[in-house]
Amino acid sequence: MSSDLIHIDGSFGEGGGQILRTSLALSVATGRPFRIENIRANRSKPGLLRQHLTAVQAATAISGARVVGDAVNSTCIEFHPDELRCGDYHFSIGTAGSTTLVLQTILPALMLGEAPSTISLEGGTHNAYAPSVHFLTRAFLPLVERMGPRVSIELERHGFYPAGGGRICARIEPVKKLTPLTLLERGDEVRRSATATVANLSGDIAKRELAIIQQKLSFPDEALKIEQIKDAIGPGNILSIEIESEHVTEVFTGFGERGVAAERIAAETAKDVRRYLGSTAPVGRHLADQLMIPFALAGDGEFRTGRLSGHSETNLETIGWFLPSRLEVVNRDDSVDIQAQ
Amino acid sequence: MAHESESRDRRMVVLGLLGTSLDMGKGHKRWERWRPTVSLCQHEDFLVDRLDLLCGKRWSKLADVVTEDIKSVSPETEVILHQVDFRDPWDFQEVYATLHDFVAAYPFDTDNEDYLLHITTGTHVAQICEFLLAEARYFPGKLIQTGPPRAKADGAGVLQVIDLDLSKYDRLASRFEREHEDAIASLKDGIETRNKAFNRLIEEIEHVAARTTDPILVTGPTGAGKSRLARRIFELRKHRRLVEGELVEVNCATLRGDGAMSTLFGHKKGAFTGATSDRQGLLRSANQGMLFLDEIGELGLDEQAMLLRAVEEKRFLPLGSDKESSSEFQLLAGTNRDLLTQVEKGEFREDLLARINLWTFQLPSLRDRPEDIEPNIDYELDAHAKQRGQLVRFSREARSRYVTFATSSDAYWSGNFRDLSASITRMATLAPGGRINDDVVKLEIDRLGVAWRTRAQGSHFSLLEEVLSPEKLETIDLFDRPQLELVITVCRESRSLSEAGRKLFAASRMRRKSTNDSDRVRKYLARFGLDWDALCRMDGG
Repeated sequence: MSSDLIHIDGSFGEGGGQILRTSLALSVATGRPFRIENIRANRSKPGLLRQHLTAVQAATAISGARVVGDAVNSTCIEFHPDELRCGDYHFSIGTAGSTTLVLQTILPALMLGEAPSTISLEGGTHNAYAPSVHFLTRAFLPLVERMGPRVSIELERHGFYPAGGGRICARIEPVKKLTPLTLLERGDEVRRSATATVANLSGDIAKRELAIIQQKLSFPDEALKIEQIKDAIGPGNILSIEIESEHVTEVFTGFGERGVAAERIAAETAKDVRRYLGSTAPVGRHLADQLMIPFALAGDGEFRTGRLSGHSETNLETIGWFLPSRLEVVNRDDSVDIQAQ
Repeated sequence: MAHESESRDRRMVVLGLLGTSLDMGKGHKRWERWRPTVSLCQHEDFLVDRLDLLCGKRWSKLADVVTEDIKSVSPETEVILHQVDFRDPWDFQEVYATLHDFVAAYPFDTDNEDYLLHITTGTHVAQICEFLLAEARYFPGKLIQTGPPRAKADGAGVLQVIDLDLSKYDRLASRFEREHEDAIASLKDGIETRNKAFNRLIEEIEHVAARTTDPILVTGPTGAGKSRLARRIFELRKHRRLVEGELVEVNCATLRGDGAMSTLFGHKKGAFTGATSDRQGLLRSANQGMLFLDEIGELGLDEQAMLLRAVEEKRFLPLGSDKESSSEFQLLAGTNRDLLTQVEKGEFREDLLARINLWTFQLPSLRDRPEDIEPNIDYELDAHAKQRGQLVRFSREARSRYVTFATSSDAYWSGNFRDLSASITRMATLAPGGRINDDVVKLEIDRLGVAWRTRAQGSHFSLLEEVLSPEKLETIDLFDRPQLELVITVCRESRSLSEAGRKLFAASRMRRKSTNDSDRVRKYLARFGLDWDALCRMDGG
């Protein structure tokens, strides 16, 4: 069994949790076992944190894997998946950890499974350093659906750091094989909008954020929306900006943080949007990260994005260990094409 | 393949008190506050499998909020509420007793679970009690303390596990190691002993002496160092502030009759003829200190009975008094006799032996520790130098000769360290110019040989008393007696005067041209008015 065990040094490249998540996702999708050492070696608290452990447990649950080293602070695990088990699952993530990152770990395999699955997840739904639920539903999933599978995510309750308590439910109808997708052009802009969401906080925060967006990005009044969330357990604030084009929708998210002025959060998010609007590549930095695994699994197709981040490059290398079909990077002037072959 | 997870088999369990002020928080603002009990479960790198939360009845609402919040931030954690009420959470007795009861009744499963006691919440009194429970191992785990975030990035704040096993901390461990080594060195009187069995024994004694207030029994042959060790044990305990009072020493062989009772337990004025005033007795003097009873086997049966009571109940009756006296002391007992045999003969109380036989250390004889003779020789030379203010050294060949003899099977050391000490003192005194030379050593070796042989035969100088009249004996210096005794013994073991001469002058014989050793012996004997025939006649009887 260990003859085809993939050995991964978790300290390479950017050395974070994404190496683990990508490895888990592809191990379950391909059935190939792996062993990863030096997990998150480049972080201040190395080893498995609780959210990573939950990702391991979720991957274990849907694949009947045999696992060694699945404990908090463990710096080495060995993961031997059995057969994919589509169906209904529920996972809770502690420390208001990201539900979307856990979903990201099991989604690739489940959308290529034999039967539909329903995954309910509890924890954080809008976490910094993680794709927000808005981003997944508006930007990522429409592209996945164009590749064949039906995937929907219902946001049942918002969950913010530190209180958590959010809940999402993902429904997945799989396909046998992903349809290759080509995404090199954005097309004409269809709509742009900004939504400032506050939970258990003053609506004034939302107003101030939108004022900055209006000022910096000259959004029309009707494109600005304030959303007051009543059912969240703790306080939270997010600013979500959507640029909908003919072929792609991009979502940029700012996360409110205690002690950081609303104006600053809005200004930084506006900067991300400006950068996107100033280029022609249809796929932004975060969306590029998300698309790599589906494109690699499809084995064909290509998309264009801006310069690759260290995070993306690490992700590409990890993917290369599991999938024979490679993702080729073709550099262009101020963008790159990722080609699956 | 069946699903099987091989790791994470031990569960992390935290016990803690609900913090009635620190854990407090209402509305959504509570998420902006650091709440220790909730924060315990918010650490990304620390997972609590079960939290046993102790809270008073009147705080049940707060307990529910905290439980709900933990469920949200840590769905992996099972929270169990235990109703524990304090009438006064600042009352030490009440808090300790309550927590002690809780811990005593708690079903600890140390094979499968690790335990931490969260000390951040609760009154300072509760913290003290928690510390005591963990330190006394009533709580079989470590302490954990939490603190608010020092910087925004710390998120859940800080968390620290405190292991009361101080040896787990490198810097402290080396400190304790040093202290431990000092204690060992002190118990050994600074002598760098090499005998493994002896060194192990001293390690054991150090370990026990630092921890127990129970009686300690030191056995071993006379002169093996029992009283010296007793003094060192006392100093060790005094140094560690484990004992306040003094060390009171007495050799039971010196206690006889009424005087024994009175010396040990004291008497009232008029208790017997000559009791002209109250006397408090040695046991009372040893109050809060230690009492060293050497040769405890020599103690009379009545005194033994009283002593047993004093050891067990800390109370005894002074002679002639109708009021009991009390004394809290640690008993050190020494003996060179086999107390079990004495018990069989009815000379020693079985119950007293059982009571003092808890920590028994048998000091080996010097003969059993030949490797330690050399360091002890140096120690004795140093002691002599300190006492007399005069440095004495061996010449190299003299030292080598002495050590060879001292560690050989010819050296009985029947008086153990007492013999060694006396031997070194003699040589140091006789050493010309502070240098112990070969001649001094040779003489000493003869002297020791005689002393041990005669001691083995019974009383001192019996051989001389046998062959010499008391008047004649009186004229012979003590210094000369062992040598004369040796010569007589050798003569009697020989078939002829010349054989005796050959034996007595064997060493120098080879270097001399003419050898008339029998003549030298004859002349020597004549100095004391003795001759070959007389010696052999008396011996044959």
